[in-house]
Amino acid sequence: MTETALPLAGLRVLDISSFIAAPAAAVVLGDWGADVIKVEGPDGDPNRRIMHDSSNYPKGEVNYPWQMDSRNKRSIALDLKKPEARAALDRLIEKADVLICNFPPPVRDKLRLGYDAVKAVNPRIIYASLTGYGETGPDRDRPGFDVTAYFARSGLLDAQRYEGGPPGVPVPAQGDRATAMTLVSAILMGLMQRMKTGEGSWVGTSLLGNGLWSCGVVAQAALVGAFLPHRPPPDRPRSALGNIYRTADDRWLQLTIVREDKMWPGICEAIEQPGLLADPRFATVEDRRRRSAELAALLREAFAKKDYEHWRVEMGRHGITFGVISRPQDVPDDQQAVACGAVVETAIPGMPRTLSNPIRLGFADQRAAGAAPDLGQHSDEILAEAGLGADEIAALRAAGALS
Amino acid sequence: MSDGPLDPAADLPLSDLPLADLRVLDISSFIAAPAAAVALADYGADVVKVEPPHEGDPHRHNWKNPGYPQSDRNFPWQLDGRHKRSLSLDLKNPEARPVLERLIARSDVMIVNFPPPARERLRLRWEDVQPLNGRLVYCSLTGYGESGPDRDRPGFDISAYFGRSGILDAARYDGGPPGISLPAQGDRATAMTLVAAILMGLRHRDRTGKGCWVGTSLYANGVWANGTTVAGALVGAALPVRHGPDKPRNALTNLYRTADDRWLQLLVVRDDRLWPAFCQAIGRPELETDPRFAEREARRANALALGSELAAVFALRSWAEWEQRFAPTGIPFGVIGRVADVVDDEQAAHAGLFAETDNPAIPRTVNTPIRLGFARPRKAGPPPEVGEHSEQVLRELGYGEDEIAALRRHGALG
Repeated sequence: MTETALPLAGLRVLDISSFIAAPAAAVVLGDWGADVIKVEGPDGDPNRRIMHDSSNYPKGEVNYPWQMDSRNKRSIALDLKKPEARAALDRLIEKADVLICNFPPPVRDKLRLGYDAVKAVNPRIIYASLTGYGETGPDRDRPGFDVTAYFARSGLLDAQRYEGGPPGVPVPAQGDRATAMTLVSAILMGLMQRMKTGEGSWVGTSLLGNGLWSCGVVAQAALVGAFLPHRPPPDRPRSALGNIYRTADDRWLQLTIVREDKMWPGICEAIEQPGLLADPRFATVEDRRRRSAELAALLREAFAKKDYEHWRVEMGRHGITFGVISRPQDVPDDQQAVACGAVVETAIPGMPRTLSNPIRLGFADQRAAGAAPDLGQHSDEILAEAGLGADEIAALRAAGALS
Repeated sequence: MSDGPLDPAADLPLSDLPLADLRVLDISSFIAAPAAAVALADYGADVVKVEPPHEGDPHRHNWKNPGYPQSDRNFPWQLDGRHKRSLSLDLKNPEARPVLERLIARSDVMIVNFPPPARERLRLRWEDVQPLNGRLVYCSLTGYGESGPDRDRPGFDISAYFGRSGILDAARYDGGPPGISLPAQGDRATAMTLVAAILMGLRHRDRTGKGCWVGTSLYANGVWANGTTVAGALVGAALPVRHGPDKPRNALTNLYRTADDRWLQLLVVRDDRLWPAFCQAIGRPELETDPRFAEREARRANALALGSELAAVFALRSWAEWEQRFAPTGIPFGVIGRVADVVDDEQAAHAGLFAETDNPAIPRTVNTPIRLGFARPRKAGPPPEVGEHSEQVLRELGYGEDEIAALRRHGALG
């Protein structure tokens, strides 16, 4: 870790994308040194407002999702529907190594942002495409979102439910962020190929493809005609000792008892019901399985009496293994979250800590996060770098193509 | 399979795939790390899986896990073992060490997921193997990171990626139990991060001539996936509760169960315009002028009452019937897909989600989500038996028949 040069230093990336999956891939490239230029329309990426617009987002005083998904980027605001702006974009494309695009295909065609049009301007470019549902087929033009394409269409939400219950709920942008890592891998493969051949290429992925990849075990099972039954709800588990229980403070304990016969006495001790050990209803593993609903009711009542912290200590004392179901608000202060490099310090006023991307390299540390750009904050400097003169830039502004 | 921008010449011979000639040692078990090796092999890498003799990777036996879909075919191993060659070595046997060292010396990438104490015992840490090959990209996967109080804990998808990161707690309805993750769901997402890390390492090596350490942890990937919510927690913002479908904030953008236990997602955002048509389509025209629901404000204020009316209505017919009724009306709706439907979904074929195989046990498999215009992923054959390629790999390393026989005799080679 003595070398300081970041692995993607010198790489020029045009992020012509919105919301989360594709911009998050650009964040990862930026974290490792790439110069990321975010090309936004006059109203800016709608992700700038998502914290307010979505009822499922935690509301903060800091616009944390925008800060996180745009760190270390520079912003240029171009109205790509105006021919002057589109011509200016070609100047940026000429100098870029990577272009990330997530417009639905009809918009790409309208804006001349399909691969063929971009390749004609710069044959060495790596064109990274993200779609909801793929590049062809009946749904290729549908805008895809994390919830609809990654989770609902892939079958994940249907599978993630308790028997008889409603479909599962994903956390905001969960599939988007996972997809970002696939897009990064695809881009790096394109760059590797360019090193070998000198030629650029099209690379890409879809939200649906990533949802399905993540539930690959279940999908591969479906391909051979095997299906997963829905999980019984916690009040009638298959095994009461491999079940989840709510504590007095609305936390959940996941009992994961592998050697049930060995653990049973400890459980009875921990819940302060030593008499249970002699209870003939629950004497053997088979008895406990057969009466799992009855035993679950008893344990449910016991665990609901005390707080999570009490149980954490008591279970540890009796050598009982259990899974931690952390709350999101526990993560920032989890020492291990810092140790594994997930939670890092930033150079952003008002947001002292953020999440690093999950890639770790022994030879380089990720760039510290700087503040996300204001809309069009770097418009002039980016165009000047691309070789446009002050008069040309002024003309673009006058035409309303640049803001 | 059609795939818009794919070059017609993209069915390249193996030797022209982007990762052809890349030698990968997969000294890992279960899913996340081996799935990263699969993704590299999909694009041409030569992956040698080092497994313990006899039993092999415990993932070979995982298909009998009661949490997995039950099948007479070992489908998860078929998926996560594809394209690999198997060398079965008993790493605890000192005779095996020189073999492993010769393998390491000629490899480009080595993937390890032993917990740190086992790595130390087996001398498989970066500092142990780096002197053997200055150009090696060493890829580490841990449950909880390379340092800190929990670094030695074995990490699993459900505990490290889902439980610890706060995903399961956040992925629930108000008052309900925590969310459910699917088998290996986080493992497989983490595999893509490992691939990205390895490719960055290779880029570094190609530029500097030097090998390097790269890696990730299940915990960091879970936190990354839960990034929006955790980033909110970092600035003190709390996740709003998600009301279950029986307590909607807006009954017209809610989930309803159909007669055949499908879930219909109603998305009537423009109810100011669509309310009369909607009442007709569901066969309840009298609701249109019902004073509880006649105006948008009233519908919001009486969302619970409207929700329970609609729940009863949607439970009367199957998803197919509702689809037929709604399709001509312009009323926005969708369905929560089932994995069973995806395998025959026309769009899935277009998106390249599945690939045909040369493996009779699984005629189709789940494709890598990485798409390249200049190359298609390799066609999958059957995964190896434990030690199927032991002798082949050893001969490539220059071992003679007598040496191989001696290794077998000592129990170092399976």
